[in-house]
Amino acid sequence: MTFVPSGYYNPDKPMEGRITDIGPRYYADFLPPVIKKNKGKWLYHEILEPGVLMHKAESGDEVYTVRCGSPRLLSVETIREICDIADKHCDGYVRFTTRNNIEFMVDSKDKLEALKEDLTSRKHPGGSYKFPIGGTGAGLTNIVHTQGWIHCHTPATDASATVKVVMDELFEEFQKMELPAKLRISMACCLNMCGAVHCSDIAILGYHRKPPIIDHEWLDNLCEIPLAVAACPTGAIRPTKTKITTESGEEKEVKTVAIKQERCMFCGNCYTMCPSLPLADKEGDGLVIMAGGKISNRISQPKFSKVVVAFIPNEPPRWPTLAKVMRKLVETYAKHARKYERFGDWAERIGWERFFELCELEFTHHLIDDFRDPAYYTWRQTTQFKF
Amino acid sequence: MDKEAAKQAIVDFINSKSKSKSKFYFNDFTKVLPDMKTREVKKLLTQLINEGVLEFWSSGSTTMYGLAGAGKQHATEGEE
Amino acid sequence: MPKHETPMVDQLESGPWPSFVSEIKRQSEARHQKAKEMEEAGKPYQIPVDVCDDLLGVLEMSFKDGTTHWKHGGIVGVFGYGGGVIGRYCDQPEMFPGVAHFHTMRVNQPAGKYYTTEYLRQICDLWDFRGSGLTNMHGSTGDIVLLGTRTEQLEEIFGTLTHEMDQDLGGSGSNLRTPACCLGESRCEFACYDTQELCYQLTMEYQDELHRPAFPYKFKFKFDGCPNGCVASIARSDMSFIGTWRDEIRIDQEAVAAYIGGELKPNAGAHASRDWGPFDIQKEVIDLCPSQCMRLEDGKLIIDNKECVRCMHCINTMPRALRIGNDRGLSILVGAKAPILDGAQMGSLLVPFIKAEPPYDEIKEIIENIWDWWMEEGKNRERLGELIKRQGFQKLLEVTGIKPVPQHVQEPRHNPYIFWKEEEVPGGWQRDIKEFRKLHQR
Ligand code: SF4
Ligand code: SF4
Repeated sequence: MTFVPSGYYNPDKPMEGRITDIGPRYYADFLPPVIKKNKGKWLYHEILEPGVLMHKAESGDEVYTVRCGSPRLLSVETIREICDIADKHCDGYVRFTTRNNIEFMVDSKDKLEALKEDLTSRKHPGGSYKFPIGGTGAGLTNIVHTQGWIHCHTPATDASATVKVVMDELFEEFQKMELPAKLRISMACCLNMCGAVHCSDIAILGYHRKPPIIDHEWLDNLCEIPLAVAACPTGAIRPTKTKITTESGEEKEVKTVAIKQERCMFCGNCYTMCPSLPLADKEGDGLVIMAGGKISNRISQPKFSKVVVAFIPNEPPRWPTLAKVMRKLVETYAKHARKYERFGDWAERIGWERFFELCELEFTHHLIDDFRDPAYYTWRQTTQFKF
Repeated sequence: MDKEAAKQAIVDFINSKSKSKSKFYFNDFTKVLPDMKTREVKKLLTQLINEGVLEFWSSGSTTMYGLAGAGKQHATEGEE
Repeated sequence: MPKHETPMVDQLESGPWPSFVSEIKRQSEARHQKAKEMEEAGKPYQIPVDVCDDLLGVLEMSFKDGTTHWKHGGIVGVFGYGGGVIGRYCDQPEMFPGVAHFHTMRVNQPAGKYYTTEYLRQICDLWDFRGSGLTNMHGSTGDIVLLGTRTEQLEEIFGTLTHEMDQDLGGSGSNLRTPACCLGESRCEFACYDTQELCYQLTMEYQDELHRPAFPYKFKFKFDGCPNGCVASIARSDMSFIGTWRDEIRIDQEAVAAYIGGELKPNAGAHASRDWGPFDIQKEVIDLCPSQCMRLEDGKLIIDNKECVRCMHCINTMPRALRIGNDRGLSILVGAKAPILDGAQMGSLLVPFIKAEPPYDEIKEIIENIWDWWMEEGKNRERLGELIKRQGFQKLLEVTGIKPVPQHVQEPRHNPYIFWKEEEVPGGWQRDIKEFRKLHQR
């Protein structure tokens, strides 16, 4: 590999010619003409069919949007293909949504059919769609998720794979709008929840269940002990000394840490600061399912997701238990909820005791909150309940 | 305190702790310079960074400051 | 022949949903195919040609042993910045040299995530040449995520971005994270303010806060154009800006009649795949209104706007008959965060209504007052929401100079343990025991 300098960086004088603090590109330079012209003057919209939107402006202009799913992890080869499609049909403009969908926009209805056909005809050699159309209205849209085993150092599961499995399982819900209300699923691969899964209709969350292993022999060489101690949010780590026998059989006393294991909440923050405290484990790690959260203020107020399944093991590559539980949750919701009821609204109306019955989920002590103050407010303080 | 003296106080503080740790939170420096506004302390740290005296270290979610090139993790990352 | 056998990972190529495995394989093939071409064009790959093959190999290994093979690295990338790069190293570098270093760069996305293909192709060319060719469009915070490069490329990539593409990095660590917004007025009739413009202007105003971390912990801004909350600001941002209005919902009674008569599709067609029966305005709109402020009178829809809480349900359901009001602005909510550590928090309402007009000085003043307080008082790794809990909502009102109003609470306090201040009580707290004894024996 020959190193090719960009010509903009001189390691001896790093500040020389450096451009900083210029921010993102100005969004208005990237707006398609029909969007730019009618910005702030839209009258109404209509979902013509799943994945296809029409927005009408006061000027009479219309913009037609075709929404497609994506795996979020995109190769530049595919981004170039997206560009080719956008050049061919959309005058060189394209948009991504907050939930990792891709939106192709055209300014007249005649251009719509050709675009749709083009998108659905494209498949990967492995058989999956490159650009499945859907993700609108009272249906399932794309799952927002995190990095998992592709790139993260503290995940308890894989993110892309679990998402692929669930979207394959529920694919028809992405392409239809037959649920009582929209369904938002999110995925985060450890309890730090970079993906903010705490307010989703259904959330898939990776979870560790074993405290870190301590690599006593190396810890003091690789880590700064005070930083590892300070990293723990529950104060479970303290500095200590211990006697070890090294690989070469030598006995010696080393500086290291001790972990109060019953205090560990399995967050991995210590591992971030100190590579000698790994916590991933094949049997220990798996998934938690949470449900009933929402973000929109429509009808009911925003609410947090609740834990409904305490543990599902990691079963790569296709996580069959996860897929089964997800299908059951979505099917039960679709069958029993009233029109406009979000997942959590439905569970609250029928009562969580009925929810567990209908979804055939086991209720165990793990599902009763015992974490700090807010726990009390989740216990039942009334004689109103169902048998 | 003039600027240079304040910058020296920051470096001295880091050196005084070098036995146990090499990375510090922003807050640690506001305690070293209690009479200074936080924004002023930040300006000094930025200068020290731009002069190559200090460097950032990040856990991804939190950021710390340390002397450039110091610290045990530097060795494990094979980046020198 | 693939470099590594990946029988488990390969199983994720089947099924209808777009396969991320196929994406990685696609890039792998392209890299091998184009290596020569790149060489001849004077742009030889700057990171190993088999980076994608090795990534698949690492993933297969994780599938087998059920654990991750990445280690965190503290490098933050480019000189002078404290964020924008996430350092990663593989814990099996001999087996997978292509991903021995696999750092991520966060690139600040344009507000609303519209792109020209010209711009996207520039990103692609750069990332082919100096990175793995794999991306996330986009990361959870909103950035374009360039996935996987080596340390010595970071400055070169940054130099190219800033000099040739007029494009800066996003944030990571204890700083202002890359702000994000819904598409707002650009294509949504519900938008109550220009989310893209406010997002862009605040991003530019606070570049220093974004690139040079000096906060106790991360800080997020998110901008939703209306209470539907498409970017989830109320759950995900320390300061959430949600569009709203304070006058009347605009009604077109003819269109109301058309909905009742079944000529117009309710919900803009959002429920069309299932037969829910004919639209019933009483059951589906009026009865579901959380404030019960609507009624039908002689076929006309009457809204008692003073009682409306702007939940968006009626507008979402009958978008051609009902429109947001004309006196528009936004509400500011503060302190949302994910559960770690003391439990999840939603944003709490701080400013019920403020106009969102350039140059946004009033909004900036509130932001800066909050930062000053948090930077002084916040403990390390304490989010704003936790500081508000620790020091009290009253303290937040005090530092922002905002007057308490009933809108600030869901309900008044449950206990009378009010910490009265001395100056609030007539006569103060200094009393004379002798005076007291004149009336009371010992
Ligand atoms: S995993 Fe988290 S809670 Fe457990 S010891 Fe490490 S830092 Fe503490
Ligand atoms: S948050 Fe409101 S304004 Fe923004 S895109 Fe969603 S519905 Fe439209």
